[in-house]
Amino acid sequence: MYIPKKPILLLLSTAFFLAAHAQTFMTREGHAHFFSSTSIENIEADNQQLSGLLDASTGDFAFQVQMRSFHFEKALMEEHFNESYVESEKYPKASFQGSIESWESVKPNGESFDVVAIGDFDIHGIAKTYRIEGRMKYDNSIWHLNADFEVTLADHNIQIPPVVRDNISPVIAIDVDAQMMPR
Amino acid sequence: MSEIQRICCFLVFVGLTSVVSAQSLLDDLNAAFEDPSLPVTATFKDTRIVNVQSNETPAEGVLHFVIAHRFGTLSSGAYDLWGLDNAQMRMAFDYGVTEGFALGVARNTYQKTYEANVKVKLLRQISGPEAFPLSLTWYSVAMANGTRAPSEDTPYPFSRRLSYVHQAVLARKMNEKWSLAVVPSFVHRNFVSESGDAHDLYLLGVGGRYKLRPRLSVNAEYHHFLTQSFGDAFSPSLSLGVDIETGGHVFQLHVTNARGMFERSFLAEPAGSWANGDVYFGFNLSRVFTIQS
Repeated sequence: MYIPKKPILLLLSTAFFLAAHAQTFMTREGHAHFFSSTSIENIEADNQQLSGLLDASTGDFAFQVQMRSFHFEKALMEEHFNESYVESEKYPKASFQGSIESWESVKPNGESFDVVAIGDFDIHGIAKTYRIEGRMKYDNSIWHLNADFEVTLADHNIQIPPVVRDNISPVIAIDVDAQMMPR
Repeated sequence: MSEIQRICCFLVFVGLTSVVSAQSLLDDLNAAFEDPSLPVTATFKDTRIVNVQSNETPAEGVLHFVIAHRFGTLSSGAYDLWGLDNAQMRMAFDYGVTEGFALGVARNTYQKTYEANVKVKLLRQISGPEAFPLSLTWYSVAMANGTRAPSEDTPYPFSRRLSYVHQAVLARKMNEKWSLAVVPSFVHRNFVSESGDAHDLYLLGVGGRYKLRPRLSVNAEYHHFLTQSFGDAFSPSLSLGVDIETGGHVFQLHVTNARGMFERSFLAEPAGSWANGDVYFGFNLSRVFTIQS
């Protein structure tokens, strides 16, 4: 029986391409870090339990962190963060949901692409539209991504009392990175 | 299958898939990961409600330093500036050896009393899928009266100076504003001045806090004698307070009918009557130092 080779190759390569682009990728141990810098003190916290989903057919994504999973150098900072600033009991999670701009131009070819993620960033119960620049790379069946951005506390009604105004920056620098595996 | 049936099937199928995709990725994410079970924190702002211990201990590697003041009775009038002229002090150091295990020492002006104490979190309240409704914290303190013997020929051996209190603090953070505690106490005094006084006393205390704002709460506590009535000379210990939190400090302001700030005194010897205004104004300032992070 005659089997046409070219169409099969085309089909296979398309299938590979689709595998990278046509499935959902997931992480549960992404990393989020934030940094507040003032002349008096620097405050930072790490969260190793960033969870996320990426729909590689559309470039849609959703990321989420538990506020209680941010860990600080000092126990009292962590308590104040949860009790007084982000009010973790009322607003236990922060999330970012949206899509990657011009997703079709982000190729799963091992190269790193500068991307722009547009979506709703929700923290302390207040969602705002954010445009976040980051980098993405598809390598060995894994989407690698990282980004950094800034959050103005007042935008999300996170209030800093006057007595610690010199210790906490009104704008917090955030950086995230994650490796997303096929789901 | 007729043409119409096929179209209907197709439409149902399309309808179903669009329902599935209408669910957002965030909902999908929430469905994929169960919320974690977490220990409930900050049931109370400080290691004490007003006088009595709360369920809290200093965090691991943290030194909790408290300077407490208790002034004279408000009923003492303008001459003593309503008690402010007669301040008693308590200086305390509590150290979090591990998470939920603390050791402390303190010195009180009142009866020159020294304290050594241990506090252990036995059970923790947990929220989430594997929730647990309350926390249980154990507190034991030994107190030694440091005053001189009344006269040179009166024997006053060390054992007579000692008293002990053991407490179980059952606490529950009801919600972000309300926290409640039930505190059964056992007091043992090696030496009692009146022959009829009991060496052992049992009390049942209740306490709570209500958070008015993120950094401001009102607290109250009451201790009921279970085993002995003292007649008119003693009123059960009743205290009201306000906690104000700033960066690394907690300020506690309170009024109480207990003169002393250590357990034996405020549990077994509260003499002031609220009705007569024999209550004391108090002021604590606590500060934490991270020794080991």
